[in-house]
Amino acid sequence: MFSESMFSVDAGYLEGLARGFKGGILKKTDYYNLTQCETLEDLKLHLQSTDYGHFLANEAGPLTVSVIEERLKEKLIIEFNHLRTQATGYLAEFMDYITYSYMIDNVVLLLSGILHDRPIKEMLAKCHPMGTFEQMEAIHIATTTRELYDAVLVDTPLAPYFADCINEEDLNEMNIEIIRNTLYKAYLEDFSAFCQQIGGTTAEVMQEVLAFEADRRAFMITINSFGTELLKEDRKKLYPACGRLYPGGLEMLAQAEEVEQVKLVADYFAEYRVMFEDDGTGMDKTLEDKFFEHEVRLNVRAFMQQFHYGVFYSLVKLKEQEIRNIVWIAECVSQRHRAKIEAYIPILE
Amino acid sequence: MGDLFRSQEMTLCQLFLQAEAAYACVSELGELGLVQFRDLKPDTNAFQRKFVNEIRRCDEMERKLRYLEKEIRKDGIPILDTGDNPEAPNPREMVDLEATLEKLENELREVNAYAESLKKNFLELTELKHILRKTQTFFEEALHDQHMTEEAVGLMTEEGMMAGGQAAGLRLQSVAGVILRERLPAFERMLWRVCRGNVFLKQAEIDTALEDPATGDKVLKSVFIIFFQGEQLKTRVKKICEGFRATLYPCPDSQAERREMAISVMTRIEDLNTVLNTTVDHRMRVLMAAAKNLRLWFIKVGKIKAIYHTLNMFNVEATNKCLIAEAWCAVDDLDKIHLALRRGTERAGSSIPPILNRMSTREMPPTYFRVNKLTSGFQSIIDAYGVASYREANPSPFAIVTFPFLFAVMYGDFGHGTLMFLAALWMVLREKQLAPTAKLSEIWATFFNGRYIILMMGAFSIYTGLIYNDCFSRSVNIFGSGWSVRGQFNQSLTPDQIRTQVRGIESLQLNPNDAQAKAWRANPYPFGLDPVWQVSGNKITFTNSIKMKTSVVLGVIHMLFGVFVSLTNHLHRRDMLSVVGEFVPQVLFLLGMFGYLVILILYKWAVYSGRNSNCAPNLLIGLINMFLFRYDKATNGCPPIYTGYQGLQTFLVLLIIPCAPWMLLVKPLILRRRQQMLARGGAMMGHQQPQPQMQPDAGVDGGDQTELGMGQQQDGGNNIHDGDKAVDMGAGYGDHGEEVDIGEVFVHQAIHTIEYCLSCISNTASYLRLWALSLAHAQLSEVLWGMVLAIGLKREGFGGCLALFVAFSFWALLTVVVLLLMEGLSAFLHALRLHWVEFMNKFYKGEGYKFEPFSFARAELEM
Repeated sequence: MFSESMFSVDAGYLEGLARGFKGGILKKTDYYNLTQCETLEDLKLHLQSTDYGHFLANEAGPLTVSVIEERLKEKLIIEFNHLRTQATGYLAEFMDYITYSYMIDNVVLLLSGILHDRPIKEMLAKCHPMGTFEQMEAIHIATTTRELYDAVLVDTPLAPYFADCINEEDLNEMNIEIIRNTLYKAYLEDFSAFCQQIGGTTAEVMQEVLAFEADRRAFMITINSFGTELLKEDRKKLYPACGRLYPGGLEMLAQAEEVEQVKLVADYFAEYRVMFEDDGTGMDKTLEDKFFEHEVRLNVRAFMQQFHYGVFYSLVKLKEQEIRNIVWIAECVSQRHRAKIEAYIPILE
Repeated sequence: MGDLFRSQEMTLCQLFLQAEAAYACVSELGELGLVQFRDLKPDTNAFQRKFVNEIRRCDEMERKLRYLEKEIRKDGIPILDTGDNPEAPNPREMVDLEATLEKLENELREVNAYAESLKKNFLELTELKHILRKTQTFFEEALHDQHMTEEAVGLMTEEGMMAGGQAAGLRLQSVAGVILRERLPAFERMLWRVCRGNVFLKQAEIDTALEDPATGDKVLKSVFIIFFQGEQLKTRVKKICEGFRATLYPCPDSQAERREMAISVMTRIEDLNTVLNTTVDHRMRVLMAAAKNLRLWFIKVGKIKAIYHTLNMFNVEATNKCLIAEAWCAVDDLDKIHLALRRGTERAGSSIPPILNRMSTREMPPTYFRVNKLTSGFQSIIDAYGVASYREANPSPFAIVTFPFLFAVMYGDFGHGTLMFLAALWMVLREKQLAPTAKLSEIWATFFNGRYIILMMGAFSIYTGLIYNDCFSRSVNIFGSGWSVRGQFNQSLTPDQIRTQVRGIESLQLNPNDAQAKAWRANPYPFGLDPVWQVSGNKITFTNSIKMKTSVVLGVIHMLFGVFVSLTNHLHRRDMLSVVGEFVPQVLFLLGMFGYLVILILYKWAVYSGRNSNCAPNLLIGLINMFLFRYDKATNGCPPIYTGYQGLQTFLVLLIIPCAPWMLLVKPLILRRRQQMLARGGAMMGHQQPQPQMQPDAGVDGGDQTELGMGQQQDGGNNIHDGDKAVDMGAGYGDHGEEVDIGEVFVHQAIHTIEYCLSCISNTASYLRLWALSLAHAQLSEVLWGMVLAIGLKREGFGGCLALFVAFSFWALLTVVVLLLMEGLSAFLHALRLHWVEFMNKFYKGEGYKFEPFSFARAELEM
């Protein structure tokens, strides 16, 4: 039985830390200043005056975007691991769940790397450090999904999610996408169930965030599947069944054959309708960006409530968005491509 | 005292610095640490400022220095700290410094890269050595083990065959390598899964930790050897090895070859060792040389960076020839600043001296107190409440005495006070040695920084402890008690006999009115409390009465003093309206009510004694009745407290009551009237009429502007401009006649009045904490004595020795932890509250901000 009154005994300190880290998230004015930068050195100078402090101070030689990204990720990892090592009980498990999604991404990334005969070292460098696991580097011995499961994934927490996509087929592009989506579906459903098991405010907050995540995936899978040889029945199997679209919306999505039909489905849900509408401001935001914006809103909202684990999830997601923003701005700055520099997604006012 | 009572008179200065001399001038000012620069471009981004490239260069140098420091620390070389403080180098020297650091860094990186490759080589050879050694034992074990497993049998025969050089149809292949020990289990598991159990793995731990060449960390590794069959398995095994970052080494199959290889490996290791040693020596020499200068370099670079940061806050004049700065500084320091500027100009070799103008401004200047080691502690107590408004009366000079005193009233114990005093004295006497340790722990730093406060608190506690006659809750009989039991016994008995008789008696009455017993010898104890109270049954009743009344007396005096400090504030501002409209009714209110009570308390102590104590009036009831105009007729045959008291008390009440509306209305009404008159007068005379009496001030400001005698023409415009400002400010400051919202004034005054009237009563009650805490402290120490130490003291014989030893150690520990630390902290907090709330709300606004001069010394402390 989870009780809010006992929350602070184990997680109070960590929640405080998490909220402190959230306080360091860049504000609107920071972004405004960042977009004014002429060079990456300027960017570094401005970031020094924020919570990032001297995270780039010990870099010798000219700055590159990839170095910045690496350091940003490193900082996130340090903060996350600081919290993770002190977490106990449900919270520890909860934080492990957060890392699983990165593991899935890494597995898929490595698999597609193998498929294109890229050297494993190069691929490893691209993996998200949050989702590393011990067997990861040996992934290239797998040629079929069964081997992948038997040799690599069986010892990882991803193993149960993988049970649905074991077959003897050779790996190919389509296969990998299916693996990714199957894993994600299983992961989201499992995570959602776990949050319900914790109960209380955590369940409430996470339900909302994860439901959105599930629905977003369902939409994206549908839209991306148009024009591919993916069968409708197979596609339906990939929809995570823990969102607000479940079950009626998913049924309709499964039948969709073009974008207009997807739009019709979204019309039934107030918050998704606006995503597909042209907002008329002339800013041609992509659907993906709109989804990101909504995600940020949900995650910021998670901080409005106290005594729940959702803040840890939201912190990671917000920080990740922030990293994407900074990297975007840095790319624009370094490539002197200023027209699109405003296309970041603001997080806090 | 004068310096501490009111903050330094500050002035805003405008500095015109020649572009080439600006650096040297700011450097001199940084050494001086008396000027607070204002950021003239607060809206500009950090990277859009003028000297951003210089700052970047400094950052780069700092990065190199940090790299050097890291390497030096890694090798455990001590960094020389001579304690001298180099001046900020010239911009020209900065280039040299940059070059030196660049060279050093490159050299070090080269050496490190070389050493790393050598070490990597070394590591590989060592690993190979271990592999050869361990595999040898694998094979030998296999040969000697009588209970061989199936695989092992196969192996042995294979091994035998191979050793014999015979080709067999069924050949087992092997791969040997080294892997991190913690990755071994997962490695083994995956190997088994992927090869479906068709491989045989044997592993052994390497006992000594090996050094990772990249990071220099010690890592534990294991040797493994895998036997398998067929090419397909071989690729798989190799892939897994690669995946787990195991390093594979060739391992010859025959024993003779292995031995040969081992020998060659050993010789190569030896060779490598000598090369490695010379490299390490070289690195050591480079680092040693760097360690000597490292601290100086750090300071120099820090100073350069600070100077450029400051320069970034300046405005650049249109012609780019000079920089314009604005800064706050104390009027008294102007001469020193001039001197520093001149030195800076000389250092830079510039011919044109810098110009320093005083400017007038409406902005509130920062608050700057010159503090020393003793006063800084007390000042920080006051600052914690709120930094004093500019030129406002500062409570800290009074707090130096009143704070420890009020603390001591609550803490009064001679013994505890002495311990506290000695502890603080130790910190004070050894402050030079102890100062560096204060950085290590926050808790310790709190005590250390408050050492002078603790010293004073200890000294005052000794004093009050003597008055309370308490030493670890025992009384000391120095002068001989004024009371005696002798009269109640047969006069012929010797003192010893009386003593034995007294022991048998449960209780004795000492009645001062009993003329026959002569219990009271009529010679009061000359200092403090008579020790006889220590053993009396009504000790608590007696001390409570005394301490309670003392608290009220002290509290009223303290508050009254606070009100009088507010008078100095009014007089300082020449604000007669506030004197009449606020100060006078406040004093009357406080004196009429609680001043009278204090006089009654003192009167009661003086007039009533043992003989007429039954007639002593109850003061609290009396005070309440005074406000109800209720005077009882029934006096039980006692005389009134003094003749005519009813008349005086009625007069006082009638005096107090009008004070409240007086405080509330007089000041705002007069202000409104003044404003109306001014508006009418202004309409007649035109709006631009400055207050005549303020003009001399403005004139002084204007006169100061050309102190250095240069740049007259360019200042002309400024002069007039500033003159205007000064007049404006004067008008606003001299009276409150300028556009003030009268409604706001009324509301403000109403709040102020209500607060004052209510707080007079509640604050007086609040001072009773002096009594309560004192009682608590005395009781706690008495309990500790009675329950712990007394038990040890009562036993006799050898057991008694042991019991006393145990009891004393407990007692001493509890005394330090509970009575000294915990109780001390509690009394400290209550004294703090009495100052912050009860004392300071009578006069203190605390709306200022601190003067934070640009100073190298300060920057270094923060580093």
